[in-house]
Amino acid sequence: MSFLLTCPNCGVREVTDFGYGGESSKRPAERPASLRELSAYNYFRRNVAGVQREWWVHRSGCRAWFLAERDTTTNAVLWTVLPADAPRADGASS
Amino acid sequence: MRRLPPQPGERIDRSAPLSFTFDGDAIEAFAGDTIASALLASGRSVLSRSFKYHRPRGELCGCGQCASSLVTVDGAPGVRACGRPVTAGMVVEHQNAWPSLRFDAMRATDKLGGVGGTFLQVGFYYKTFIRPRRMWPVYERVLRHAAGLGKLPNRQEQRAWRTEYRRRHCDVLVIGGGIAGLTAAVHAAQLGADVVLCDDDVEPGGVQLAEGGHERMRELAARARTAGVEILSGASALGYFDGLVPVWQGDTLHQVRARRHVAATGAIEQPLVFPDNDLPGVMLAGGARRLAALYALAPGASAVVASVDERGVEAALTLHAAGVRVAAVADLRRDAADCPAAGRLAEAGIPLHAETTVVRAEGRRGVERAVLARVDRTGLALPDSAQQLECDLLAVSGGAVPASSLLLQAGGRSRYDVATGRFLPGELPEGVHAAGAVAGHDELGAAELSGELAGIEAALALGFGGEAVRRELAERRARLEARPLTPCAAPPAHARDGRRGGKAFVDLDEDVTVKDVEQAVAEGYDSIELSKRYTTATMGPSQGRFSQLPAVRALAAATGMPVGEIGLTTARPPWTTVALGVLAGRPFEPAKRSSIHARHRALGATVKWAGDWRRAYDYGDAAAEALAVQTTVGLIDVSTLGKLIVRGPDAGELLDRLYPNTMSSIKPGRIRYGVLLSDAGRITDDGTVCRLDDETFYVTTTSSGAAAVEQWFSWWLADWDLDAHLTDVTQGVSALNLAGPEARALLGRLTELDLSNEAFPYLDAQHTTVAGIPCLLLRIGFVGEVGYEIHCASAHGERLWDALAAEGARPFGLEPQRILRLQKQHILVGQDTDSESTPYGAALSWIVKLEKPQQFIGRWALEHAAQRTAATALVGFTVPSGRVPTEGAVVLHDGKPAGQVTSARRSPKLNQAIGMAWVPAAQAVDDARIHISDVGSTFEARVTTKPFYDPEGAVLRS
Amino acid sequence: MSLDFLTLGSDAGVVAKSPLAAGTAAAGATYAVRDGWEVATRFAEPRVEALACRERVGWADVSHLRKLELQGTPEQLVAAKPDDGLWLQVTPERALLIDSAGPRESAAHVLDVTSQLGALRIAGPLARELFARFCALDLRPGSTPPGAFRPGSVARTPGYLLCEAPDRYLVLFGAAYGAYVWEVVSDAGLHLGGRPVGVDALVAQEAASHA
Repeated sequence: MSFLLTCPNCGVREVTDFGYGGESSKRPAERPASLRELSAYNYFRRNVAGVQREWWVHRSGCRAWFLAERDTTTNAVLWTVLPADAPRADGASS
Repeated sequence: MRRLPPQPGERIDRSAPLSFTFDGDAIEAFAGDTIASALLASGRSVLSRSFKYHRPRGELCGCGQCASSLVTVDGAPGVRACGRPVTAGMVVEHQNAWPSLRFDAMRATDKLGGVGGTFLQVGFYYKTFIRPRRMWPVYERVLRHAAGLGKLPNRQEQRAWRTEYRRRHCDVLVIGGGIAGLTAAVHAAQLGADVVLCDDDVEPGGVQLAEGGHERMRELAARARTAGVEILSGASALGYFDGLVPVWQGDTLHQVRARRHVAATGAIEQPLVFPDNDLPGVMLAGGARRLAALYALAPGASAVVASVDERGVEAALTLHAAGVRVAAVADLRRDAADCPAAGRLAEAGIPLHAETTVVRAEGRRGVERAVLARVDRTGLALPDSAQQLECDLLAVSGGAVPASSLLLQAGGRSRYDVATGRFLPGELPEGVHAAGAVAGHDELGAAELSGELAGIEAALALGFGGEAVRRELAERRARLEARPLTPCAAPPAHARDGRRGGKAFVDLDEDVTVKDVEQAVAEGYDSIELSKRYTTATMGPSQGRFSQLPAVRALAAATGMPVGEIGLTTARPPWTTVALGVLAGRPFEPAKRSSIHARHRALGATVKWAGDWRRAYDYGDAAAEALAVQTTVGLIDVSTLGKLIVRGPDAGELLDRLYPNTMSSIKPGRIRYGVLLSDAGRITDDGTVCRLDDETFYVTTTSSGAAAVEQWFSWWLADWDLDAHLTDVTQGVSALNLAGPEARALLGRLTELDLSNEAFPYLDAQHTTVAGIPCLLLRIGFVGEVGYEIHCASAHGERLWDALAAEGARPFGLEPQRILRLQKQHILVGQDTDSESTPYGAALSWIVKLEKPQQFIGRWALEHAAQRTAATALVGFTVPSGRVPTEGAVVLHDGKPAGQVTSARRSPKLNQAIGMAWVPAAQAVDDARIHISDVGSTFEARVTTKPFYDPEGAVLRS
Repeated sequence: MSLDFLTLGSDAGVVAKSPLAAGTAAAGATYAVRDGWEVATRFAEPRVEALACRERVGWADVSHLRKLELQGTPEQLVAAKPDDGLWLQVTPERALLIDSAGPRESAAHVLDVTSQLGALRIAGPLARELFARFCALDLRPGSTPPGAFRPGSVARTPGYLLCEAPDRYLVLFGAAYGAYVWEVVSDAGLHLGGRPVGVDALVAQEAASHA
């Protein structure tokens, strides 16, 4: 795995510059109604083979968190943005 | 082999003789020779012994690509003798033969296999040397002696050579320096691109160097350099990793990151398969030409050439011109006599046998005769068609495969072109171009044109060049497409004369024969990927370069499937075998060291890794150091603690959302312990939070957790709209813990601060100067004695240490600290807790404040957890017998595993074996008896839920 | 209570020590005390050091440079930016201010991170080749011209790199990695024919390049 990522602050870097933060998902505002739903939030991931929205942190650089959309089958990165500039995710839980 | 008179374009410098040794014998050579060319010139024909059967092997490819010439050079194994130039005094040794290259006792394995035995049969490693199991150590010794490719140095100091990485960014990387690659590089560079070209030969030029084009190629290389191309010679591209191409050149691994790639990697001539096709003297036609042209070696006195296309005829003419007698050319093509060069062959008096191939090589130490015949579809000689010819060189050419490994690694596909009978690259991935023979353009003019095209296309794609260039491109493309690819004949999978005896090798690296492939198919391994793994064909050091087509053809013949349907095996890096030392680079490990590290060293500390820090484990006597803390005063460097500054109007709110207890209620100058939780309520880290002023908190974390905690905080902060800022100051702050009954008195001599318990009580923080150094003092007690954690700028850390040590504080290391904290049952996150531990189980229920309003991280899971009793709980224990259990020992309940020991030490102060363990909740009460199973024995321990030392904390607060 | 303990003392008797001190000492540095810091002023004859910087590559420990971190809204940061020193914008909300008397008065949070970051100044025609041995950043002049600031991995640790001038770079890294970074830079640099130099050699080089 040697693909490139573009840090919204610093520009293009090797993927090894970054830390992976997993799929983006929104923390519910209130406690999920059942233990089952809480466990789904805590432990279940969509794990798609395809394009997913995910968190990255430029741990060797500016240390900022940002969002990316990446195809998990090819590692092609569609875009990266700071959280405030993220386009609305359609279909994703929000 | 004898030297020929000077050849045009020869690489050797006859005015510069030099010598080196091979297995102790002095060998004369010329500058420019390879190890192999010098050995061959000295009269040696055997360069190595084969991997499995220890058969003698001579030169095959002549270009440093096959495994038949692996030698050890100056202690480094696995060097290809036909690729490495000689240097004066070089010490070369053979590999994989015992006791000597000439007489190899292990050759017996060949004979055992030859009489139909099962020794080293295909898949032998799945079938033999397995039972009885107790014999394995013996088998292993035998196999390690018998097989293998040389001996590695096994210690760092034995590694004599320096290897390092070099990062190179460029616009275009051209891989391969033949006509197509050089042309592509020149065109891309002339349009303004920053171009790097790598080539594995000692100079760029490719096959043309040995095939009459040397002057032109050297001129083209000069043009490339003038255009600004960085040419890396003797440099192999190892693989394609998402656009990053490691290029190995001698001691340097160039990590080339290009925006566009041009693969001009050429094609690889394939051997023919017939009995004893590995005898020394059987050589690829191209290899024979290289020996003659570049090293002025007569590859034989008398040659027979066998081929399936124009390469054979060309080779015969070149060898003839160099002074080698060519006895005959066997060309499998039906219309061979109509080929353009047939007339020149006749003029030279060389007989050409069309529709004929070689069905056997004969000879004792090397080729003495070749048997030629017309064959049926299966490769069996037709009756009465066989003829024997005396020769000592059998130059073979079984077609070519494109060297497409890097293209395939980049995501390209290969396809079989039925019309021309060859594999070609299919659609190419984005950003990757192919030029020359790898793309099927093996004819000189076509190769050059495809190079121009690739170079210009790559440059255009990067924004170089203009509309005129773009128009020109279309015209060039049309011209290239108008050139038809030349077809080649498909040789039989296994040409043979029907006589018994003789191994027909599909893969010379791994000693895999046609029979092995047939056997694998009979056992059900009938797809190319399965057959590859079972027989190991194409898995040797040459990465299948010379066994791709033979393996595919053998499988096609054995299964009856067409070659095109069988396909090629998956291309994987490395494309060239590479020394591990080259991949390792420089032997430096990123290590954090505290500003006081030099002092620890000077005190004779045992320094060990603790996370990414180098830490003082002890100073020679952990027990005495621990006792000193409890009787006088000790000093430990805790600079490794993670330290974060959290500032802003919402800093308190942020911490309230991240910790299960309330941090916003801490008064300035006070300290509170906290644990961090995942949203599943599991403990991830712990430390203290000190409020410096209304909007400023100073947070400490575990030593290994600093980076993760900062990321955790900033991740949530990215999601929450809070006015708070973080700064990780871990490395900028040195922290020393001064603890013990005499700590207060000692510190009092260095500061004007009132240290009395009333003025500076437990869990208070004060700002002052110590020995003139501005410090933050935290009164906390991880080790259980009155203690001050003294924090200062790390640039002053060493001076602060010196001042405290000079006053008599005794240094203690990490190990004594662990004893002391265990006496207090202070947990170590990650040691006493794991990814399943909640505060409820870890005896930290008191820290969870479910009554606070924040939906803090982990709250919801804890709300559920609070409603039920945890199955296990973390408790302390003592062992009456005095035995200190191993950390990780099992806690038994009714004879079944029910928990585990997480920490255990002998306490010098209490003179007792103490520890902490997870036990069934019912047993988490004082004096409960638990059973610990450890290394085969079971013994009793007693639960203690309170600290072993100072259970009420009176000492700590005094 | 305050963050004063992060600021180096003004007490004349307390001299600050660079996180690279073990490395510079082993390389034979001569030190002088400047602005409360023990600074490696030279390793060899000034002529030899100047030659290294002119023809190969030289590296100097400049960890003593004052470094401030500023955090706040983009507007607060703009308001804080002074006329002197090197202003390194890390994110829209975070900047480093190097070698400055101090920021302008603003609502931005300021923190002294001088001790937090080790610093090396690397100069010479082989400076880029030196970085190429342990750093994946693209430092070709077209990609990283003078003035360009590049946070990113240096020697496999988090770093900040600034191109100060053609063939002259300032690199900042975690202080605890000081000994390690010095080892990596020295190993590669000596192999390239370069050498460690005192801070004065770089001042001379700077003067020469401005002349």
